[in-house]
Amino acid sequence: MGKMSEDLLTILPQIILLLTAMSALVFEMLRKPLGSLYTLIIGMLGALGLSIYRLGTVKTAFSGTFRSDELSQWAVIILSGAAIFIGLLVRQELKGTDREGTVYSLLAFSTLGSTLLAGSGDMMFLVLGVLISSLTGFALAAYPKTDSATEGAVKYFVYGSVTGAIMLFGLTYWAGISGSTLLSASENTNQPFLMLFGFGALIAGLGYAASLFPFHFWTPDTFEGAPVSIAAFLSVTPKIGAFFALAQVMKILPQHIVDYNLILAILAAFSMTYGNVVALWQNSLIRLLAYSTIAQAGFFLLGIIGINHSDLGISSLIMFGFAYAAMNIGAFAIVQQVGKKISHISGLAYKKPFMAVAMTVFLLSLVGIPPLAGFAGKFLLFSSAIDSGYTWLAVVGILNSAISLAVYLRIISPMFFKKQFENESSNQYLIQMVYISCFILTIGAGIAVQVIIV
Amino acid sequence: MNTSLPLLSLTLFLPLVGAFIILLLRHSTSKVVNTVAIVSATLSLLGAIGIGFGLDSGFSHVEELQWIPALDAAYRLGVDGISYTAVLLSTILFFCTIIYSTKKKEKLGAKMALFLLLETACLGVFMSLDLLLFYIFFEITLVGMYFVIAGWGHENRKKAAIMFFIYTLIGSLFLLLAFLSLYIFSEPRTFDMRELIANPPLSGMVATLTFWALFLAFAIKTPLFPFHSWLPLAHTEAPASGSAILAGILLKLGAYGFIRFALQMTPDAFKEYAWIVMIVAVFSVVYGALVAMAQTDIKRMVAYTSINHMGYLVFGVAVAAMIPSTSGIHALDGATLQMFSHGIVTGLLFLLIGAIQERATTREIPALRGLLKAYPILGGFFVLAAFASLGLPGLAHFPAEFQIFLGGFEIYPWAVAIMLLGLVLTSALYIRAIQRSFMGTPDKSFLVKLKDLDARELCAFIPLVILIIAIGVFPNLILDSIHQSVKYLSIWEK
Repeated sequence: MGKMSEDLLTILPQIILLLTAMSALVFEMLRKPLGSLYTLIIGMLGALGLSIYRLGTVKTAFSGTFRSDELSQWAVIILSGAAIFIGLLVRQELKGTDREGTVYSLLAFSTLGSTLLAGSGDMMFLVLGVLISSLTGFALAAYPKTDSATEGAVKYFVYGSVTGAIMLFGLTYWAGISGSTLLSASENTNQPFLMLFGFGALIAGLGYAASLFPFHFWTPDTFEGAPVSIAAFLSVTPKIGAFFALAQVMKILPQHIVDYNLILAILAAFSMTYGNVVALWQNSLIRLLAYSTIAQAGFFLLGIIGINHSDLGISSLIMFGFAYAAMNIGAFAIVQQVGKKISHISGLAYKKPFMAVAMTVFLLSLVGIPPLAGFAGKFLLFSSAIDSGYTWLAVVGILNSAISLAVYLRIISPMFFKKQFENESSNQYLIQMVYISCFILTIGAGIAVQVIIV
Repeated sequence: MNTSLPLLSLTLFLPLVGAFIILLLRHSTSKVVNTVAIVSATLSLLGAIGIGFGLDSGFSHVEELQWIPALDAAYRLGVDGISYTAVLLSTILFFCTIIYSTKKKEKLGAKMALFLLLETACLGVFMSLDLLLFYIFFEITLVGMYFVIAGWGHENRKKAAIMFFIYTLIGSLFLLLAFLSLYIFSEPRTFDMRELIANPPLSGMVATLTFWALFLAFAIKTPLFPFHSWLPLAHTEAPASGSAILAGILLKLGAYGFIRFALQMTPDAFKEYAWIVMIVAVFSVVYGALVAMAQTDIKRMVAYTSINHMGYLVFGVAVAAMIPSTSGIHALDGATLQMFSHGIVTGLLFLLIGAIQERATTREIPALRGLLKAYPILGGFFVLAAFASLGLPGLAHFPAEFQIFLGGFEIYPWAVAIMLLGLVLTSALYIRAIQRSFMGTPDKSFLVKLKDLDARELCAFIPLVILIIAIGVFPNLILDSIHQSVKYLSIWEK
């Protein structure tokens, strides 16, 4: 077998995603949106199955520019699963709208972008991944063509193009110093200022995709304008892709020249605190969840800090990524069912007790209450931070968990202890399917941690 | 006794099974719900009694199942004399509280299911021999109690519930930090509590910080001054049964934590800073008694006496940390017994207050009059429990507090002297309350026309009353197994 075909085999999951996206588009041209959805589901299942099968084998492709390791394999597993769930939510929300099939195609394209990010060993892959995932994101956010959707999409677009340009510009310095676009080439550099500049630019590009403070400004407006299912997608897929990419970079970056971890730690502290504190004042469920995703972004950084110092770093990222995808999609699915305001969810427990219990589980999991998946993730993140000597950051994280409880209790309390329930929408089976699956995953992953730890 | 029956797991999960059955039979009558709840609580109680027959000095009935081998976290259960006391207390008090709660009609199924879930969580905390498992159960108690207060409390319940949840969550998150540091610095890394007790892994600065994180976590839970401010509000707003569980068992989580973690896993740091803990404890004793004296709401008054009683307890633990000799053993024996005594006495007091409130529609001491004449049995029980709470010899608190004082007297006679002042204050406040509200002629105008205790209430109260007297007269019933374990703790070996 030639070198080229071996490389192509290594990135087979990504190729499957690409083919899925294109076939979904073909079905849309035939005006058969359901065909696009089925293509999405089948393609994603294929990529997911293949990556599960490959877990444990580490390879690189195209002379080290792309890595097929735990991070990138788990990224495919988590994000393909997420894409299936989102596809079902989209079907429920946008069924029968014009161009429905394009959404499925865009979901697949965006997932492809994020999985490329998660495996990048080269700056070009970083750029490619960010571009694919954000370009598709603009289109998804603008899909409904309403004023608020357009506003949100334009914000997303403007921020995206500026941070993307900064990232590209900064990375040229890295390439200039090391003489190569390979991330591993940066090992022998001794130009702290230029390295730092490039790093800052990289953080801007990835931080934007991950809605990390201070690159988060688009998040609440874009989420509010976009369809709920798309907001759910934007809160999960680009974020996980970007953080896994950052982890790939940090694995290689020489730590003795610049203390990158300190920068990340400060960003993490700000992101967690800002997201949680601002979320306290929101009256819209979507905006509240949007700010909470900014806070959760800070938690991801704890794992990235530990990537070189703790053997729990990678495990914690994967565990938290998995948990985050399950609990966040679950929470968004229920918001999609009941409505976007906190008042819409009041008294849910009286009409739909199981849905209220599921929502409570998702939110408590976001806080990090055991034995749920979010706890397993945060527990590993804190361990990895302490292991790396960042105990103070773990303390900040812990205090933030307490604040976030106050945030989420603002949803939990009215669900159970206020009587009126305004929303009498009928049961939507696809949503039910999604949130029940997320519910099982959120509880199951919290107990079956062993499966995920690498 | 070496049985193949996983007695601990059975006792632990029976209530949870009951809770699931209740939830599955959502539309059943209250009779079915009550039966399921009482049966599972009874079986769990029987299991706990059964456990008592197989105790030796170390951890008995140990069960171990793999869970996360990569982190050396496992499903590890086991009890010694100290945790067994707490297990027994939990099953008894839940049994009585569940019987007491069978009457309340509103959302009965959900309430019983929550109580049973809480019972499993509390038992899990006391039985766990694995840090991670312990933490999971510890947190579930918070979630359960939040819903009990918010769902069945009085007017201000939402605020009280949120404050309780957030305040104690901060404490337990510091606990998580401490656990992580115990884990990361153990060699090889493990969550096995037996390992961590046998070879405390920490030293120097890390040990000190970990100790203070543990202290903070358990001081909030216990609670000690100045971390107590969630307690009065939670008690005022919680339903009577919730208060009984909260004061009777959840506070013991903090006390137990002081013994099992702070004392056994960071013994050197505890020894070094025991004097600070002692000062905080002594202050809590006096402060709790003084503030209790200023209350007119009888429930708030009892709530504050909890701070007072827990102060004695923590003082006893601090003495044990300081002097590893006979005095230390006395003090720790007393502290462990105090967990049990306070659980049954305060549990009973809160349930009785619930019964009073149903009949008199108020809890204000100045407004209540002649309860003893109107309800002789109810009043009699209350007076007995109050006397127990103020430390009358022959009742449950006396043997515990006596041993704590005995142990502490050797090194800090002045501290014991100050604490005796606390004793005088609690005596005064109880006697004043009894005089005002239980003596005299009843004021018929606001007493609801309800009879004295009915069969349900009697079933709930009598076991506790008997225990209060039994422990007072024969403290060795419980003290024997406590002493067996305390005597052989590894902390005395230094």
